[in-house]
Amino acid sequence: MKHILIGAALATAAVTGASAQELTLGRFFGACEDAGTDTSVSVGEACIIQSIINAASAEIDGVTVDTLPTDWGNYYDQIIAAYAGGTPPDIHVLHRHRIPQFAGLGALADLSDDLAAAGIDVTDWAPAALDAVSYNGGIYGVPMDFHANLWHVNMDLMTAAGLVDDNGAPILPSSPEELLEHAQMMHDATGLDYLAADFAQFPIGVRLVLALMWQQDANIFDGDTATIDTEAARNSVTAITQLFDAGLANPQLNYADSQQAFLNGEAAILVNGTWVVDFYTAEAANEDVALSNYYVADFPTLFDQGATWADSHMWAIPSSLQDNEAEYQAALQVLAFINDHNIDWARTGHMAVRNSVLESEAYANLPHRSEYSGTAAIARDTPPSANYGAIQDVLNRELQAIWLTGKSVDDALADAQAEVQDLLDR
Amino acid sequence: MAIGGRQRNHLSQAQAAWLLLLPFLTVYGAFLVYPFFRGIWISLHDWNLLAVAFNPDAREFVGLRNYERILWGRNIEWAALANPALQITGMIGFGFSAFLYWTNRASRATAIALGLAAVLLFVLPGFHPGEGGRWYDRRFWPTVGNTILFVGWTVPGVTLSSLVLAAALNRETRAMSVLRTLFFLSQVLSVTVVTLIWQIMFSPRQGLIANITEAFGGSPIVWLTDERFAMVAIVITTIWWSLGIAMILFLAGLQDISRDLYEAGALDNATGVRAFWYITLPNLKRTITLVIVLQIILHFQVFGQSHLMTNGGPNDTTQVLVRYVYQTAFRDSELGRASAMAVFLFVIMGSFSILQFIIGREEEN
Repeated sequence: MKHILIGAALATAAVTGASAQELTLGRFFGACEDAGTDTSVSVGEACIIQSIINAASAEIDGVTVDTLPTDWGNYYDQIIAAYAGGTPPDIHVLHRHRIPQFAGLGALADLSDDLAAAGIDVTDWAPAALDAVSYNGGIYGVPMDFHANLWHVNMDLMTAAGLVDDNGAPILPSSPEELLEHAQMMHDATGLDYLAADFAQFPIGVRLVLALMWQQDANIFDGDTATIDTEAARNSVTAITQLFDAGLANPQLNYADSQQAFLNGEAAILVNGTWVVDFYTAEAANEDVALSNYYVADFPTLFDQGATWADSHMWAIPSSLQDNEAEYQAALQVLAFINDHNIDWARTGHMAVRNSVLESEAYANLPHRSEYSGTAAIARDTPPSANYGAIQDVLNRELQAIWLTGKSVDDALADAQAEVQDLLDR
Repeated sequence: MAIGGRQRNHLSQAQAAWLLLLPFLTVYGAFLVYPFFRGIWISLHDWNLLAVAFNPDAREFVGLRNYERILWGRNIEWAALANPALQITGMIGFGFSAFLYWTNRASRATAIALGLAAVLLFVLPGFHPGEGGRWYDRRFWPTVGNTILFVGWTVPGVTLSSLVLAAALNRETRAMSVLRTLFFLSQVLSVTVVTLIWQIMFSPRQGLIANITEAFGGSPIVWLTDERFAMVAIVITTIWWSLGIAMILFLAGLQDISRDLYEAGALDNATGVRAFWYITLPNLKRTITLVIVLQIILHFQVFGQSHLMTNGGPNDTTQVLVRYVYQTAFRDSELGRASAMAVFLFVIMGSFSILQFIIGREEEN
């Protein structure tokens, strides 16, 4: 009996193979229960990424990937705690803006010398994508997309307000004054709000204000000096608050409510990211949803130069994994698999990072893609900082204080300036 | 000889006690005492959570600087009427507690506790940044204020509503035991479920409350993003969530009251509300104290409701102490500073525990 058991154990070991690697993977994007392994049919960020991960787990020999349960709002807190406890996931997603915080401490593996061997062609990445994952001369991740703020447009309402040009494209404002004018036209024609966005929860309102600052060639800090209490910031904020003051937009909607207002046909424009283009396209095709004539526009230029908030998602490996060659190689194979499926991820509405995908017909044929082709050229973000999260939080708090609690713009900008300066000084 | 042998094999009472206590002491020491002192140790350092994980030498001993950075500021001055509303309330409170003590309406411990709270209310709000000064951490004291406000609304809310419920449900019928179970059920839910339920309830678009307001022709309140209602919303949620335990404690207290008292009272025409006021309440005094102190300690640790429902907003009006500790430690990686805040919270809760201990002892005497 004993021999039989030992034999069975040995046989199992032989079948699974000594090289079988179980990798843990950490990501946000939300949960998708039945994503399957078909990467070409899933819809929405959560299901598309999970189908790619499931397919990698199924198709790569001797590698299984276990997706850890994580939550959007607390993702980075969880990842930081996992690193501090010495148990980071073997592969995890992060934003471009987090690279200084993680790579700066040596938490992330420098992949520069190993990407080619793993089948990842760095020369195929768009220059901005390579730039996004580079830090102090090393490559610390595999980029997956560029994402940016867009204007999602309900064309039926724009037609009702007379804001459509001869080519059938929406007429968007080119100055703060015109923004107010268009909003008034929308109100007069339909009684509805011109613009909706999440001004009450996530930092979408912050990204809106930042974009308007960049459009005036200003920024929130320069080196170690906060530059928030400025004329440019005041112009940016009042460009938005004039809509609230005139009753042409509602600052109290959170992410879900603002999205619902847009889908219900209660607001002509929703400011939100690239990540919802495929979802809204699917909703617009649904007869039960009020939104039916959906258009995606680049963030309009209200000041001197084009700019919209943008960031990148990328996949990284903890530096500690390099101590275990087999696991490290397995993790690289998963990154290569994700890199190979860049076109599938672009279905979400995100912009691809690989030249070969960007130039492909399949990419050009994605819904609404041609309508926001100008976004890549105007993509911007704040300067890199290890305190990015805290700085965003200060801005979100102070801007919300302006439009939700009636704090004066001068006080809010002065307070934001002082707090960001404190963070830069720490 | 046989007896001697048996004695050798037996442990003395003290040894047996230590042996039986050992498992508890080990766990208590490893998971409570050690982390507590470690927390104090960390609070004396400039300790970046991520940096120290990769390089244990990245910490620096800074003494009490973290405490100075959260509690103090530059050019801090004190004035008797810097915050008139709170400070005058404090003075009145002090006079009131002295009056209660001298007229024998309150025991010495209660009077001292009340007086001390009143003095703190007079002294603490008097500190403010003078000319050209500022708090080093501008968010800390407002956050402490929010937490106290939350406790100040939640604890009376829970105590009163659970007392009324317990009195109403203290009958031996099947319907009452079903109702008791129902009211207790909310207590077993986790904070994620509770906040999800109430986020839907409070939603201005699809929520039950908004639908009812609209049915009566009102415009719905945007509870969670309106400065005036956000704190109220999380207080309501918390009261609904934590009624159960307090209600059970009150029920146990009610069942301890002898039936004879009510019968005697009934002869003197004390029934219904009068019986509740003159018989039930005085006999529940100990339970009420216990419930209040337990609730105070519990609700100072509020985190989930604020974190999940309002993200501390709008404009920090629902930012509470534990959430600030959490953000400082895990978002900003500043473990030393976060530990200093946690020690501050411990001091607040510890003083309430001591208060309960004193009151409990006095009642026994």
